[in-house]
Amino acid sequence: MSVRTGDAGSGVVGAIALVGLEAHPVRVECVRSPGLPALRLVGLPDAAVREAADRVRTAVVRSDLVWPRDRVVVNLAPADLPKVGSGFDLPLALSVLAASGQLPHRALDGTVAIGEVGLDGRVRGVAGTLPMALGARRHGAVRVLVAPERVREAALVEGLEVVAVADLAEAVAVLAGRRPARAHPEGVTSGIGSAPGRGAGVTGGGGLGTGHRAGGGDGGDLADVRGQFVARRALELAAAGDHHLLLVGPPGCGKTMLARRLHGVLPDLGPEMALEVLAIHSLAGEPVDASAATRRPPLREPHHGVSLAGLVGGGSGVPRPGEVSLAHRGVLLLDELLETPRHVLDALRQPLERGEVVLTRSSARVAYPARVQLVAATNPCPCGLLGHPTRACTCPPDRVARYRARLSGPLVDRIDLAVELAPLTRRELEVRAPGEATTTVAARVAAARALAAARWGPGTTNRDVGVARLRADAGGRMVERLAGAVERLGGSARAFERALRVARSAADLDGAERVAAEHVDEALGLSATLAR
Amino acid sequence: MSGVHVPVLGPVARHDLDEVAAPGTDPELLLALVTCAAGHGPGPGALRRRARELPTAALGEDRGIDPRPTLRAVLGPSGSPDAVAVPLAVAGTDAVATDARRGIADALARWAALGVRAAVVGDPAYPARLAAGWPDVAAPLFVAWRGVPPAEAGASVAIVGARAASGYGRAIAAWLAEAVADAGARVVSGGAVGIDAAAHEAALELPGGTTVVLGCGHAVPYPREHARVGGLFERVLDHGGTVLSELLPMTAPRPAVVRTRNRVLAGLADVVVVVEGGARSGALLTAGAAAELDRTLLAVPGDVRAPGSAAPHLLLAEGAAPCTGPADVLAALGPRGTPPGAGSAGRPGPPRDPTPVTAASLLPDAARTVLADAWPRPVLLESLAERSGLPVATLLAAVARARAAGEVLAGPDGLHLSRGPVGR
Repeated sequence: MSVRTGDAGSGVVGAIALVGLEAHPVRVECVRSPGLPALRLVGLPDAAVREAADRVRTAVVRSDLVWPRDRVVVNLAPADLPKVGSGFDLPLALSVLAASGQLPHRALDGTVAIGEVGLDGRVRGVAGTLPMALGARRHGAVRVLVAPERVREAALVEGLEVVAVADLAEAVAVLAGRRPARAHPEGVTSGIGSAPGRGAGVTGGGGLGTGHRAGGGDGGDLADVRGQFVARRALELAAAGDHHLLLVGPPGCGKTMLARRLHGVLPDLGPEMALEVLAIHSLAGEPVDASAATRRPPLREPHHGVSLAGLVGGGSGVPRPGEVSLAHRGVLLLDELLETPRHVLDALRQPLERGEVVLTRSSARVAYPARVQLVAATNPCPCGLLGHPTRACTCPPDRVARYRARLSGPLVDRIDLAVELAPLTRRELEVRAPGEATTTVAARVAAARALAAARWGPGTTNRDVGVARLRADAGGRMVERLAGAVERLGGSARAFERALRVARSAADLDGAERVAAEHVDEALGLSATLAR
Repeated sequence: MSGVHVPVLGPVARHDLDEVAAPGTDPELLLALVTCAAGHGPGPGALRRRARELPTAALGEDRGIDPRPTLRAVLGPSGSPDAVAVPLAVAGTDAVATDARRGIADALARWAALGVRAAVVGDPAYPARLAAGWPDVAAPLFVAWRGVPPAEAGASVAIVGARAASGYGRAIAAWLAEAVADAGARVVSGGAVGIDAAAHEAALELPGGTTVVLGCGHAVPYPREHARVGGLFERVLDHGGTVLSELLPMTAPRPAVVRTRNRVLAGLADVVVVVEGGARSGALLTAGAAAELDRTLLAVPGDVRAPGSAAPHLLLAEGAAPCTGPADVLAALGPRGTPPGAGSAGRPGPPRDPTPVTAASLLPDAARTVLADAWPRPVLLESLAERSGLPVATLLAAVARARAAGEVLAGPDGLHLSRGPVGR
């Protein structure tokens, strides 16, 4: 960003305005002119930015700096871009100080300032620091000024000098060269961690750790799940092929437990992807503590009472990201899927299809990335006891039929893998042998993912590869075998495509170059556990 | 007591009426009863009461042998010795009559469009078994059917049970139905999913054939999966079966309606078998009707822990005969139901196909053994994986092949072999 300080009597500081995740460079220009002392702020500021005038003036005075005794006009250019939030306080204050000669010329060249300023002059961090820093680098800035608590976050951006300033006085001193920039806390280095490895534990900070914590991530270890062999296999296939997964089973059979553990077997994210994810979390005001952050994909688990805005994003003014965006590149776990209101579920169709959510409001049109792996769990019937060996389901059959009909809606049709869990009681499950551990399964999943990436190209998985390529890859004989069996079992064209995708994942887990009959049959067997 | 005001039909409706009335059925009497059923006259209970109160003299010796003169008497304008005189029709001209006319014409049109035939109690096309005892017994005043006339069915067995059936229940229903129909006797059941469907599916292609007794009118597509093109009802009709209803074509399947349907089920059969049902199942009502109508009642014992065993076990406790296989059913049916080579069909096991299925099994031995040991109870895929010790991927693939080939059937409560293992 070509930010250059102006002539005497004026000052220019770089800032970033976020519209959604999109970072737009903003020039904060201050000009002094003769007249009664006053501050005028122009350039489409919102209420929080307008309040900055009062905060900044008090802060400057209380930091033993001088507020100019003439008319001050601050322009936020470009004027047609909406500016939101308190992050413009710091650039605003610095532009005034530069215009009044309290900062040397050129001290602010190539610098973007991000931060809110308190009445006492203290600099506070703002949400979205990471996407702002990413935007600053993209637009040519070489240095960002941020509050100390946001240093780790901003330092994730490689090739950007991050300067922590605790208050206005320190900012002036550092920029004027009167004081060296404070040393970063131990372990903060530039960029994102580059040596992923399982079980490495959280790195000492700096960049992104790759800690695949012993126990396999947030969801617990797969070894805790006893029995449910079929569902475990479905889970492994889902992880290998990046398929959406639906688990249907009575309460207490472990479906939620399993659903959470899918996250644990997923491979780490690449550095770019991890940054993408953290940028969204930063914007949403979620903690982005780089020292504890790992390159694990996110796992989000909204309650089934979640609102439409909470799930896909929304809110007044510039819409905020919802759970589906916070789960970007990770797992969105929807427990009690069929308890979620239909209109909320239907809103998930766009993100599942396009990998992003587009939210349009009067003030802005925002697109948030939302490429998620959906893992859903639901009861087999409203009372949950359908198919239970010893307890009676109290639902009338037509109510069950209506309930299960929802399992074939447009949303659920996008779920490649659906599996019915055995109605086993906790006690029955307890006597069963513990299954394989997360790390064992994760290794197989990683190998399968590597095969898929080599075949389809990086970033493309069995879930989203075009069906034509999938058919060509499987070959005519296998396609025929599958089509014939699907027809005999009364399946639809959708069922055929789903089984074809799952068959490819089965082959990948097998380390097989070509899809074989065994893989096709397994996919059919799984698809038949829950007729849709 | 005044007579029923039967609408004067237009030419189209008149044509429909003549088409719907079965051979030997008086269209005017049918129309009068349809008018009553449509709510424009006394209900079936009131008609029975009137019929019982009718002085014997009015009917002479016919009373109790042919219900039709009695019906004419109670429907026609009373108070004169000419009470039984036809025509019954009294033209109505007010709005109510116009409305009624339209409704009845619509019902006739729907029946005619579906190829439905109808007969009045006592008609030659009306099943004699069902008519027996009217007016002391509550037989439907008319029946409407598609397919083969129900009066042509010989010995019949009603196989009834709940919609929410287990794999065991469905397998037993199919086993019994197959043996019954193979022996040349008719299988009678409702049109619902679960036990009803399993019985029809197993029997519809065999010599005895099946009769579906609907719990709703012919023009109501319920249950949807059976009423659709290519569904169960269509296949029953294609194979010489009957779909029967004692209701007007648009009557919805309300619980009260389904209850009277259960009487018809029992009335059409010589033997009633209750396979499975909860403590409040409609199968108990059919059983009650069977007892009232003096039909032989059998009940299939089940797993004492399973909720669906409540109804048959209750009936067994109350004195129903236990049904332990097709032999019990055929024995209850008596000489009429004994097939030419009945011995083999009576034994548990595959009733028709004695070839060992193991030879061509698509399942690994370990999996097949587990299923054979459990037969006819279903095994959850999960338990099959555990007990067979096979890798899940292998098992899934094998089960898929076996299902596609029909060796294994799947239901909500698990998998079971489609035919029993040999030698059990």
